[in-house]
Amino acid sequence: MTSNKRWVALCIIFIMISLVSGCKGERKSIENRCDYDGVKIEPLYAVYFTLQDGTEKKFCSIVCASMSFSELRDKVKAVQVVDEISGKRISAAEAFYVESEVVTVPHNRNRFHVFSNREDAEKHLKKFHGRWIENPFR
Amino acid sequence: MILNALSISMIFIGAISVFLTVWGGISSLFLYKKWGVSSTPEERTSLEDRSYLVLLIMMIVLLIRLINWPLFYGTLQSFIHDIEGAMCIFGVTQVKPSLTLFLEYLKPITFFLIGGWLILHFLDRATKTSPLMGRKLLLLSVISLFVLIDSVGDILLMIGIAPGTLVSCCTTVTDIANRPTRTTPESLLGPQYAQSIKILYFVTHLLLIGVVGLVLKFKKLGNTVPWRRGILAFLFLFAMVNGILFVISQIEVFAPSMMHLPFHHCLYCLWQYVPDSIVMYLLFILGTFSVGWGFTTELFGKRGEAADLLPGYLRKIYWFAFFFLLASLVMLIIHLLVD
Repeated sequence: MTSNKRWVALCIIFIMISLVSGCKGERKSIENRCDYDGVKIEPLYAVYFTLQDGTEKKFCSIVCASMSFSELRDKVKAVQVVDEISGKRISAAEAFYVESEVVTVPHNRNRFHVFSNREDAEKHLKKFHGRWIENPFR
Repeated sequence: MILNALSISMIFIGAISVFLTVWGGISSLFLYKKWGVSSTPEERTSLEDRSYLVLLIMMIVLLIRLINWPLFYGTLQSFIHDIEGAMCIFGVTQVKPSLTLFLEYLKPITFFLIGGWLILHFLDRATKTSPLMGRKLLLLSVISLFVLIDSVGDILLMIGIAPGTLVSCCTTVTDIANRPTRTTPESLLGPQYAQSIKILYFVTHLLLIGVVGLVLKFKKLGNTVPWRRGILAFLFLFAMVNGILFVISQIEVFAPSMMHLPFHHCLYCLWQYVPDSIVMYLLFILGTFSVGWGFTTELFGKRGEAADLLPGYLRKIYWFAFFFLLASLVMLIIHLLVD
């Protein structure tokens, strides 16, 4: 019976250590990751949602952002995307979107490209056999 | 082929296992056929000596195979950076999807069989007359077949995973609207299925712990307890149903909540973002399997001298089941409260 109690005590200590280290690790990993699937964000392909309560949600790609958008539609106040050429944030409504054979984020096969300038978008479209697509955040 | 310490270990363990299980499996089948057939004392002694050698070596192989299951996932995790597009183990599984899926189903079955056999072995070793030897040898030859397939699968997978392969990861599969873990409960429980699954899981899990606790209440789980086998079989079935509910509730409700990613349903991502969830899963698996091991021990261990020791063993097994299931539940609750 004493040996049983010892085992129980050991297991409880092990669980507590796991929980503490797990929760610590969790908090550390929340920083700078996609709010959809948790992957590290490459800023050039990021998408940002500003919610009604003022908080910001960030996503690694158009794919993750559009999947979240369908769930968060009512809470989203503004959407910003990043111009692939300059790396600057622009409003999603003002951007040009192209789907081409170039994969930007491999884990979700994101083929959507964002441009602030129509000529840049057209150049990419011709070079990589793309097609125009509408703003996915309407 | 991706070479690192873990993949080399997998291949090494696989190769050793193939060699020893072929030998051990054939030997145990041969010994089983000879066991119990009347023969001269010399032949009998030689048979016993050979049986103990086979059992000793196979026990070591089987103990190593128990570690192989977590090692398998550890190795896949170590491949993530070498597979383009993989952000978690799911991506790595997409390099050889059919083989990996097959192994993912085979490994828990093999783990369960090995655990059950080892308990039977320890029970038999505690006796003076080895009344379970024949059954142990027969079961060992069956388990050897599973271990052999598992080991060959491991080797083939390790060799077959080529670095730099381009894959899609979990986002494109686990989060789609028509995933079975969503559509099935939704069709049964309605649009608020997530809340219902959550409650259902807590109810069944607590009920399982309660029934295991009740079984432990029978002072000695003695052979005179009426319907013991029936009760333990029911518990095993109930534990399996609870296991299915655990998986569905984890995918649909708890994993997204623990990861702070409400729309992401990948369990492999959970293990990577919330590493202590692995401990929780391990406790749950050991708890559920312990319930099953209790039943298999009752099924195969009730013979001769072993039958007298069986109640004590069953009590220990169910005590472990009770503790592991409770511990996994406590971990889950603490996580949900912290979140």
